[in-house]
Amino acid sequence: MNKLLGTLMAATPSASNPQQSSLLEPIRALGEYCLNTVHQMGCMFIFLLAAIKQMVLPPFRPRTLMAQIHFIGIRSLFVIILTGAFVGMVLALQGYYTLSRFGSEAMLGPAVAASIIRELGPVLSGIMVTGRAGSALTTKLGMMRVTEQIDALETMGINSMKLLVTPAIEATLISLPLLNVIFCVVGIYGGYLVAVQLLGLSQGTYFGGIETAIVAKDITVSLIKSVCFGLIIAWICTFKGYFTQRGAEGLGSAMTSAVVLCSVLILVSDYFITALML
Amino acid sequence: MTATTTQTLSTTDKAIKLGQIGILLVKAGLVTEQQVEEALSHQLESDTDLIGEALVSLGYITQHDLLDCLRRQLNQERQEYQRSRECAPIIRFENVVKELDGRRILDNVNLEIPNQKITAIIGLSGGGKSVSLKHMIGLMKPDSGSVWIGDQDITTLNNAQLNKVRQQFSMLFQSGALFDSMSVFDNIAFPLREKTKMKEDQIRRRVEKALREVHLPNMGGKFPEELSGGMVKRVALARAMVTQPSIIMLDEPTAGLDPIIERSIHYLICDTYMRTRYTMVVISHAVPEIFNWAHHGIVLHEGKVLAAGPSIDIVNSKHPVIKQFINGELDGPVKVM
Repeated sequence: MNKLLGTLMAATPSASNPQQSSLLEPIRALGEYCLNTVHQMGCMFIFLLAAIKQMVLPPFRPRTLMAQIHFIGIRSLFVIILTGAFVGMVLALQGYYTLSRFGSEAMLGPAVAASIIRELGPVLSGIMVTGRAGSALTTKLGMMRVTEQIDALETMGINSMKLLVTPAIEATLISLPLLNVIFCVVGIYGGYLVAVQLLGLSQGTYFGGIETAIVAKDITVSLIKSVCFGLIIAWICTFKGYFTQRGAEGLGSAMTSAVVLCSVLILVSDYFITALML
Repeated sequence: MTATTTQTLSTTDKAIKLGQIGILLVKAGLVTEQQVEEALSHQLESDTDLIGEALVSLGYITQHDLLDCLRRQLNQERQEYQRSRECAPIIRFENVVKELDGRRILDNVNLEIPNQKITAIIGLSGGGKSVSLKHMIGLMKPDSGSVWIGDQDITTLNNAQLNKVRQQFSMLFQSGALFDSMSVFDNIAFPLREKTKMKEDQIRRRVEKALREVHLPNMGGKFPEELSGGMVKRVALARAMVTQPSIIMLDEPTAGLDPIIERSIHYLICDTYMRTRYTMVVISHAVPEIFNWAHHGIVLHEGKVLAAGPSIDIVNSKHPVIKQFINGELDGPVKVM
């Protein structure tokens, strides 16, 4: 599969022919764009399959996996806690003033918790991990590609996909649901801080509402979303980094496109998962 | 017949006892067998590979004597190779074609790399040198044609089979390609940890020896970003040698280095070759200097082999492109300005 992927990546489709009339140029350009897009998508899909195949094949590298969990998960904790707390706080603030107009302050707890658990938790933790760890993953792999370190691994007979890509995907799949849970818990407590400590809502009202409004399905969907987003982040970021070309410029554009593509795909897939699971 | 066998045996015994370099120095009359044995006894593990350095540190010879002796011996071997031209190829290209981004980089290339010799591949930038090297090691596949390592066509092998073939190889990349997240020690130890079942203390000894061989003892704790360009190349060479391969590829080992470091790297290549007799393939722009160190030369130009043969013949070639390239002239068939 690696062989097929290498061959595919080397053979980029090109349809340019200077002899063609300028009238056909836009059609040619559109065709070339479509071909390139389909080609890229095919390569990305084969890359994912190759990485998944390596997950089940020995040798297993628990130390490398732990190091990746540390890099992707533990080192993202601070930013997740910070984001989660302020998202919960601002939701409580906005929610309180909106709900108080209708005398429904008791609904503040469920509103904050539902928003965070169902949508904001998985989406924002995904976007935060993309920005902090995903971009770093692309840069690291891109640097290794540009400075021939990946070639050096292959020369030594070491499967670079197994060593570099598979642990990153596994670590993101493990870390992101946990980070999502932390984001949700911190967010709900951030909301509590504003609603109860600042705005004077009773503790029982805030938490009592949450207990009745949030069901197990909400949490399951939230976790499913974060697993999907984790896969998207690891897949896109490792792919873009692993196949970086053209030195520093290529590295910069690989990182930018990885972050943009991840963020967009997270938001798009969030809609579809929600629509499917509702 | 008996006398010949006895003589062969005694030469082999001596080689084991004194090492290739030890024998060379004794033959050159620079030291006596007793001095070599004494130097060996001063070493921790009677390491014959580092006998030259031990003799230098004991003051029996100077560093200059040692290097001069190695160089003279290599010169003799090169002249011998020019006369006989006999050497079985270890790597062979048959009609190799490779196109990248619509440009033909290798155009029906046929070449042979002689076994246990130093081969220099030269040519203009973009002439297909690095691409050739990547084909030899299986990092690239040709669009058509075949690449033979010994009696195996590596273009037909799957990844697992290719990895087995690659165990014979090591490569020094143009940039050094040291893993920047690891220390010098870990960089050199990495292939041993990954590909062998050696214990950590065996690995430590092997790495320390490799570092001594490239004249960088006690540098194991440094990180790649703390090293100069010349040091990076030497560490990369140590990493390439540590697995004791039979073929070493060196992609521009002296690029971007000052003339003194450049010469020291060439001496190091010569020293490594004399001790190990690995097949070495060197891509270099250091012409004509590199031809003082190589047995065999190959000139690649616009994706084709322009000339191949003993390096002395390449230097004396009358081909206008080769002459222009070796002399670094602006006037000639290759227009650059």
